[in-house]
Amino acid sequence: MALDFELDGLARGAHVLQAGWVAVSYGGIDLFSARSTDVRSLRQLDDQAVIVHGIGEQRARGGAALLDTVDLFLREFAGKIIVAHGASVERDAIARISKAALGLAIPVRTVCTLALERKLKPNLPGGEAYRLAATRERYNLPAHDQHDALADAIAAAELLLAQLSRMSADTRLGAIESH
Amino acid sequence: MNSELASIETFLKTVPPLDRLDGERIAALARKISVRYFRAGQTILEAGSHNEHLFIIRSGAVELRLAGEDLTARMEVGGLFAYPSLLRGGEVRNTTVALEDTLAYLLPAAEFHRLRDGSREVRDFFAENESERLRSAVRDLSQKRSIILEETSIAGLQRHRPPVSCQPDDRIADAAKTMSEHSVSTLAVCENERICGILTDKDLRNRVVAARIDLDTPVSEVMTPDPVLLPETASLSEAMARMTAGGFRHVPVVSAEGDLRSILSATDILAFLGDSTIDTGTKVAKARNREALIAAAQSIPEGFARMESSGFHASHVMRFTSALGEAVHRRAAELAEIEFGPPPCPYALVVFGSLARGEQLVGSDQDNGLILSDDIDEAGEQYFEAFGEWLSDLLHECGFVYCKGGIMAKNAAQRLTLSGWRDRFSQWISEPDEDRILRATIFFDMRVVSGNIELARQLHEDVRQKAKSYSLFLSYLARDAQRTRIPLGIFRNLVLEKSSDGQKVFDAKKQAILPITDIARALSLAEGSPAVGTLERLEWLAETGHMARSDADSLRDAMLFVNELRIAHHAEQLRSGKGPDNAIAPGELSPLERDYLKDSFSVIRDGLESVKRNMAGGIV
Repeated sequence: MALDFELDGLARGAHVLQAGWVAVSYGGIDLFSARSTDVRSLRQLDDQAVIVHGIGEQRARGGAALLDTVDLFLREFAGKIIVAHGASVERDAIARISKAALGLAIPVRTVCTLALERKLKPNLPGGEAYRLAATRERYNLPAHDQHDALADAIAAAELLLAQLSRMSADTRLGAIESH
Repeated sequence: MNSELASIETFLKTVPPLDRLDGERIAALARKISVRYFRAGQTILEAGSHNEHLFIIRSGAVELRLAGEDLTARMEVGGLFAYPSLLRGGEVRNTTVALEDTLAYLLPAAEFHRLRDGSREVRDFFAENESERLRSAVRDLSQKRSIILEETSIAGLQRHRPPVSCQPDDRIADAAKTMSEHSVSTLAVCENERICGILTDKDLRNRVVAARIDLDTPVSEVMTPDPVLLPETASLSEAMARMTAGGFRHVPVVSAEGDLRSILSATDILAFLGDSTIDTGTKVAKARNREALIAAAQSIPEGFARMESSGFHASHVMRFTSALGEAVHRRAAELAEIEFGPPPCPYALVVFGSLARGEQLVGSDQDNGLILSDDIDEAGEQYFEAFGEWLSDLLHECGFVYCKGGIMAKNAAQRLTLSGWRDRFSQWISEPDEDRILRATIFFDMRVVSGNIELARQLHEDVRQKAKSYSLFLSYLARDAQRTRIPLGIFRNLVLEKSSDGQKVFDAKKQAILPITDIARALSLAEGSPAVGTLERLEWLAETGHMARSDADSLRDAMLFVNELRIAHHAEQLRSGKGPDNAIAPGELSPLERDYLKDSFSVIRDGLESVKRNMAGGIV
């Protein structure tokens, strides 16, 4: 399941404001499974972050309650591996919100397309070249709508398909999973 | 929770024929998509396999090969493929390979069929073969063109402002004097600034002169009272409908407040629609000397551009332009007779090639010759030498520039007696060789434009009878038609050829129109058809059962479609002050036009193939 969170800034305790996800398998991406949801946040939002993701306080207050969101995750993501570009952000955020809501950090398995790209193309200069948009361009993938959680999730899913096309057909999940 | 796939929907809305669907339908479609990625070189679909999806290219490019061999098509972003297999129940005939890394959106077959069932336009787009698609393209073009009539307001084409008017109690004689002074055929009769009637030339004839009415009678007694009025915001088509329905040729146009603005006449509309051709035709026919003829002929390209912008069909533009060309040739010959005195013996001025076929656009060079009576003497030959030179020079000045191949009356080889022409044709027909045929085909399209019709008729009849009985000649003709390499299609900025692609422009005349002309000519001559125009030849062939009706119609559609492109291209060049040519750059074409062009190429290739099969057999 490719997942992307839009966060209120880059700080460690940043709130999740929006989540978008879509199912991806070796066979492709099924857009019927695509979802996105706003997550309620009552706190004063980080101005810089608002500029990036475009989710203002009014919209943030109208989002689903955190507990409902966690509940939804548990149902949608049970037994799935999470795919994201820079998956540690999503892994940390899930641990944080599940701890806040349930008192228990849910452990998740992830495939990080960023880490995978560093493995496939280890010698690119600088960090910029490994960003999602730049990486997609190398695989001839179209420009996508950045800073929308669902669009980013689909973008990461497409990138994973592209990366898999570069790897041998019998590549096992364990070989690309990040730890 | 939200499930909007905004960017995917935005993309789908740019893809024909999905661009015709409403937002709700697009949103529903987006959710049915499965996204796949193919690495460059990877086979996407294999001929002989089974397919359940319509493919839409989101990024990258693919190549389709029929049964895995000949290159048949290349497609890029926004291209749809694999639907022919869905129409066949899933049987894949084209192997499709990713040319570049390709991201594709796949729609399930059931969605594809639902799309087709939903609208005729979508169904037309997904027609199974090229001919059907081309037919709907030509039909769409005619529909698009009639829209121009809907969208053009009559405000732009009124001439007399303010209109010439009189009072209802003015005397008829005074009203007629006003009309004469202002040289108008229609007079508005106004009371307190409001129009209450109109008086036309026709009224003066029918209701005044013919009825012997006293010329001191007030205008109000003979005018047409309370005429139908048009608001100045009315469209051209409304105006035309009003005139047609009422059977009148003049309509007063009023402002929103009811004030008279102008009188719109049928002539104004015709002039706007490019029927300055009729005007130009009159000027050509009445030209008193060479200067007047040159001046009249120079307005032909302008009228051509106007016909294009006002939405005339390709077939009409060709016909009007050819008719004017013919008129210029005829008048030039008449002026030559005035210049040199009456001809010493019967002669005929004949034209060859596109003008003879009635398929001329602007920018063609001259192709003509003189058929002289067999009893001509030396003095007569001298007369026609001067005549021919003067004629060719004048035509050159008129825009029908000198023929590079020398096919013009100023050259002795183009001034032969009837027997001389017969011998020449006879040689082409009975002793053909490749080089001779190459240069002679144009002569087999001939039409007399001036002089003694009988001379030309005899020659044409003779050639027609002879050509059909010489199979070697016919097979040379058929083989000559195969010289042209028909492109496979247009891809990005390339014109695709069978083995090498890399050409930047494609020659719409040489690579599409002339092959169609060749096909029609070869088959017509083989069957002894008297027709000269390509469309008439195709019609004749279908009518007499020598060509399948569907094939003839497909070739006609291809010709009309490519000529639409040429005409638009020429008109654009004329508007930007360039001399017209036939070199169309791929960038000028929309993706849909490229698709239709590809269909045209395919129809032409099939036509050539059948000519080759049926006629080229005589040559080892």
